[in-house]
Amino acid sequence: MKPEFFGILRSPVLWLALVFTAVLPLWLPSYYLHMATLALVYVGFAYAWNIVGGLTGQVSLAHSLFVGIGAMLASALLLRLGINMWVGMLIAALVSGMAGAVIAWVDYRFRLGHLSFALITLAFAEVGELVVLGWDFLGGASGLYLPKDQGNLQSFQFGGSSGYFWFLMLLAVLALGVNLAILNSPLGFFLRAIRGNEGAAQAVGVNVLRNKMLAMAISAVLCSLIGTAYARYLTFADPYLLASPNLTIEIVLLATIGGVSSAFGPLVGAGLLIPIGEMLRGHFGSMLPGLHYFIYGLLLVVVIIALPQGLAPAFSRLYRRFSN
Amino acid sequence: MDMLAQALIQGFLIGGTYGLVALGLGLIYSVSNIVSFAHGDFMSLAMYLSVSLFAAFAMDPYVSVFITFPVLALVGWGLYYFILRPVIGSNSLMIIQLTLGLTFLLQNGLLMVYGGQMLRVPSMVESKLFLMGDTVMRWPLLIAFIASLALSALLYLMLTRTDFGRQIRAVNQNPKAAALMGVNVTQVRTLVFALGIALLAVAGSLLLPGATLQPGMGLRYTVITLLILVLGGMSNFIGILLGGYIIGLSEAVGTTFLSGVSGMILPYALFIVIMLFRPAGLLGSR
Repeated sequence: MKPEFFGILRSPVLWLALVFTAVLPLWLPSYYLHMATLALVYVGFAYAWNIVGGLTGQVSLAHSLFVGIGAMLASALLLRLGINMWVGMLIAALVSGMAGAVIAWVDYRFRLGHLSFALITLAFAEVGELVVLGWDFLGGASGLYLPKDQGNLQSFQFGGSSGYFWFLMLLAVLALGVNLAILNSPLGFFLRAIRGNEGAAQAVGVNVLRNKMLAMAISAVLCSLIGTAYARYLTFADPYLLASPNLTIEIVLLATIGGVSSAFGPLVGAGLLIPIGEMLRGHFGSMLPGLHYFIYGLLLVVVIIALPQGLAPAFSRLYRRFSN
Repeated sequence: MDMLAQALIQGFLIGGTYGLVALGLGLIYSVSNIVSFAHGDFMSLAMYLSVSLFAAFAMDPYVSVFITFPVLALVGWGLYYFILRPVIGSNSLMIIQLTLGLTFLLQNGLLMVYGGQMLRVPSMVESKLFLMGDTVMRWPLLIAFIASLALSALLYLMLTRTDFGRQIRAVNQNPKAAALMGVNVTQVRTLVFALGIALLAVAGSLLLPGATLQPGMGLRYTVITLLILVLGGMSNFIGILLGGYIIGLSEAVGTTFLSGVSGMILPYALFIVIMLFRPAGLLGSR
């Protein structure tokens, strides 16, 4: 760990922001609280994806697979086999982590370039969705309805919306913390070396296979954990939402709009766009059903052409200009 | 046995059209190194345009292709010239992300305009059948196969016999050298991109009879196209056509003999197996 990491931990801005977020459920009306909860879910997803997509510089499109495993497998274990959802969450996370490691191994073994990696991970994600849709154990096309929340923490029920908000906030902060920790640890340097030039990294002694597998597995586990909690929050594990490759594309768009090379890009991207998207959906959802996704797509095109580094670095430049 | 023959013929026929779609993307890749993750969505766009033309003028998809072809060519031209050209040559990750953005743009643009319900366009030949031995075939499939084969042959002739084709191959081999020999590289790339997108208008109208449309379907077509492209070795003309037949066949056999969704997995499984043994594609690249 570099000392910078502990420097970030001592920063008062970070703690102020955390406290501000944590007290949101105390005063925010329920509609806006739901929005904030969704934003946390996607901030978590975006940070988890960023470990592979940003730090290692590989556009993985397989992440809906991990979210899907977290949501569908943990729910199925509870409903079909009566396994406690806390245990189910850990089992699903383990399965996701192994799936991630296997994908990273395939990538290394076959020397996939950026393009083939994106293609093959997309194919994995498609297969994952088809498996969920075709296998009744995992809910099939109709999904899995989770039992009503009785507020029983031991069986993975967090009571009202504030409970879910805090739990999902915990997971999002975990994803953020893991990102910062990796960024300032040897693993982070190895991953950036791989991003810069894989062959050169290997030549100077970086264990490419081990580090890629580690990055993918960590990223997969985080996605899976958030996936389980997200499905429990929605009380419905919907395969068309949680196991669909479109989810990955959404995550990639959010992270990219925020800026993948910046530590706060995923936070800016998902934290800003999800509430805007939800508001648009609230106002225009019945007339123009896809409007918010349309706007994400449009924004991405504009951002890539005008601000290739993403919004977060642009914001910090603005901030510096005004503070001078 | 009849069922097998039926499935094989059906898969073979549809594979020809898949091959044509992938050829368009392969041409684009070979001159500008772009793989668009929105390729299938442009086919959706073409199909929905045919729906509109049918709704407005009762125009058969086989006729409206003469309108959708130039429209999509124009769209492809504009897309390359204004959006992709500024980014090309920078990071290849960026182009992947950009085309993923286009996927969302197109998918949800179609959703906003046409709504989420399934749509169909009847065609004058849709329900006509013909017999070949014991197997029953639908005419649209045969038309699609013949048209795709003819167009593929035309593309091949264009690549090997015309100046434009020679320019394309020159840019494919070495863009800098081609530019020094007086080839207008940007123009070649733009035209090829427009052509690749416009071919989707043809493929769209060929696949339209009997198909149900839904705004989100583009991604699955994209994945199929990409599988074929990788199987074919990215820029190998014959390899891509062969890949089209393999994916078409495995899809038809899978959906006929395996129940429901598990049949749809067969093409992917086959793809993964082939890639494990022949990572450079069926016939290698080029």
